Amino acid sequence: MGILKLDHVVKRFGDFTAVSDLSFDVPEGGIFGFLGGNGAGKTTSLRMALDIIRPTSGSIEILGRKPGRENAAQIGFLPEERGLYRRMTVLDTIVYFGQLKGMDLASAKKEAERLIERFGLSEWTKSMVEKLSKGMSQKVQVAAAMVNRPRLLILDEPFSGLDPVNQQVLEDLVLEMAEAGSTVVFSTHIMQHAERLTDRIVLLSRGRKVFEGTQEQARATLPGRLRLESQGEPTGFSGVLSAKRGETNVGWTAWEVSLKPGVAPGDLLQACTAQGFALRSFESHRPSLHDVFIHLVGPGQETVQ
Amino acid sequence: MRNILLVAAREYKSIASTRGFWVMLLVLPVVIGFSQVAGRFFRPQSESAYVIVDASGDFAPSIEQRLKLNYQRVELSAFSGYVQRWELGKVKPDAVWAQGERWFSDEQVEQFMAEGGIDAAAQIVKPHVPKEAPAYEIDRPNYTRAELPPGVNGTDGADKLAEDLAPFLKDSIATSEGERPLSLAVYIPAEVGADSPVRMWTNGAPNTTLVDNVRNEITRVLRARALEASGLAPEQAAAITSISVPLTLSAPPQGAGREQVVIRSVLPLAMVYLLLVTVMTTGSMMLQGVIEERSNKLLESILATVHPAQLMHGKLIGLGAIGLTILGVWVGAAVGAALMVQGVVADIVKPSLAAIEPWMFGAMLFYFVAGYLIISMLYLAIGALSNSLQDAQSYLMPVIMIIMLPVVFMMVSVAQQPNGVFPVALSWIPFYTPFAMLARMGGGVSMMEVLGTGLMLAAFVVVEMILLGRLFQATLLRTGQPPKFGAFIAMMFGQQVS
Repeated sequence: MGILKLDHVVKRFGDFTAVSDLSFDVPEGGIFGFLGGNGAGKTTSLRMALDIIRPTSGSIEILGRKPGRENAAQIGFLPEERGLYRRMTVLDTIVYFGQLKGMDLASAKKEAERLIERFGLSEWTKSMVEKLSKGMSQKVQVAAAMVNRPRLLILDEPFSGLDPVNQQVLEDLVLEMAEAGSTVVFSTHIMQHAERLTDRIVLLSRGRKVFEGTQEQARATLPGRLRLESQGEPTGFSGVLSAKRGETNVGWTAWEVSLKPGVAPGDLLQACTAQGFALRSFESHRPSLHDVFIHLVGPGQETVQ
Repeated sequence: MRNILLVAAREYKSIASTRGFWVMLLVLPVVIGFSQVAGRFFRPQSESAYVIVDASGDFAPSIEQRLKLNYQRVELSAFSGYVQRWELGKVKPDAVWAQGERWFSDEQVEQFMAEGGIDAAAQIVKPHVPKEAPAYEIDRPNYTRAELPPGVNGTDGADKLAEDLAPFLKDSIATSEGERPLSLAVYIPAEVGADSPVRMWTNGAPNTTLVDNVRNEITRVLRARALEASGLAPEQAAAITSISVPLTLSAPPQGAGREQVVIRSVLPLAMVYLLLVTVMTTGSMMLQGVIEERSNKLLESILATVHPAQLMHGKLIGLGAIGLTILGVWVGAAVGAALMVQGVVADIVKPSLAAIEPWMFGAMLFYFVAGYLIISMLYLAIGALSNSLQDAQSYLMPVIMIIMLPVVFMMVSVAQQPNGVFPVALSWIPFYTPFAMLARMGGGVSMMEVLGTGLMLAAFVVVEMILLGRLFQATLLRTGQPPKFGAFIAMMFGQQVS
């Protein structure tokens, strides 16, 4: 059974439809990517899952129950827009969020101290948040989201605002949480992170789902592309959609080949070998998630490769 | 409930850890303490000295005697009031001071002086003064006659005297009571007439009573002389000049009549004042807290774990506790000050408490808490709608004016007529009910009125809480311009506004 399930969910704000007939299912375990450009409806969907706002229609199930604060003890949430109480210490902030999620004071304190050490903030434990740098504040927020060792960790654009070093720290932490058995759902418009971390993805565009599945299934939606050098023309093979001629060098011609949907580069290589079609090089091009996104959504929406 | 208390504790701790809170908390006790110390050590000296040069030799003894008489009259009047208030007349029922405070004739004052004056009278009642009553404090005379200073003889005429005394009128002069500022010098010529008037010089801050007394006594002596010159015997002349209208001035005893209404209202009016101060102070803290959460963008994290209504309730409880802390410290300071100032407890606090029936204490507490909630929720609503303190100011000013102005007018009105049309009408408008009902408590309100307004107020608090909860839900994560009035109303009634 899925840990998060949206069923025909619609959310309207006045005349504006932020989420339209959205359905998807996040299985328990692993890392789930919630992808889309700005304004695709990612944050609105996550807010509905957390009962911060209510859907106009449709139903949501999280941890097998309706959304509500009673689920908070098993959920960690890092919102896209982040902030902390400026005049609270690092330790008190993390403990406070732990207690709000149902932890007793001693457990919250113990876990907070572990996370503070893990994030390299030990010398700032008793410092006011207002004295921290932006990067350190972000770490405190991540710690506050994870303090209850959640069964479901929801991260809304977690990498925005982090420098490359801290992005790597956070990536490691996400992988660590997933290995420890948590389900991680994170939204992003940075495809690089999604590519490295996610097992399954949902792709949103203008409030609508345009894809749900594994990364490989996503890539399979694009025509396969490869580059080869041959003495003959590859257009004769049945799996080839088109072939664009490149430079010719001492009888060998370079070709940019597009394959028909569902045909893998290996299928073409096998056919070439079987028919004695002479090849000097054969490089298959693996489409990125960015390519998939552009292919499915169109070039108009903002993503970062 | 656990999360509400966690939010409340955090709010309390965050406010209590600020310097501003401690300054506000301690400002009243410090001011009270300072005024006590300052009152004791820096009391301005009211006693001054005067000199008389009487070339005729006829006026100075009369003036001195008149000033003594008038001083004893003032003391006799005050002492009679004290005796009446503490029921000490039975100590010596036939004494002139035992029949209550009134206007005393010269004969009565002379009799009083013949019996030893205020010093003797105070000694007589001293053993019988009840424990809760302060000892009677005898005021010293405000003016003391001084001899002419060395080197000033007064025999060379008024102008020379003025010249010689000029330095002393800018400074002080030696008297039998010690150094005193010289406030008045009088020169009476040998023959008082149009060409040779009585002359007076002052230091610029003369005691007008002293000047009047001197002038009146000189006039009285001159009239007596004129009467004698017209053929009347000296006794007859003296009798005519001392004629004054027989007068009995009746007033309710101290602590009764209008004064009683005022005393009975002390505690309720103090509660209105404290309610206003507490709610306005902690209200602005609430406002800042909500705006900080909005502008710091930390609300989403909070709202994932706490329902907006719980957040609102937690804030109300936490900042309510701050308000009660301030109230407790201030009331404690006021009680301490009342105990330190002799007679205040007996004169004001006890009658004020005695005038309030036990059930009224419960009602007063209810009105206080309900008033606190009603106004605090307005502040929270403004905080929920505002992106910045500047935004909040634009909402806050009209709200404060709408709340404060009728309350101020009402308090003035209550002092005149506790059950007048205006205070009674305000008692039935929920935003003003706590203030109006508290203010009217001292003047007497019926239990039915308390029950009626209490039920209405309780219902209003619940409705306001529900509407504010919806507003919180709709606005806390809102960005952009604050909503217009129509959108604001729609949010309170649960509609979603883009």
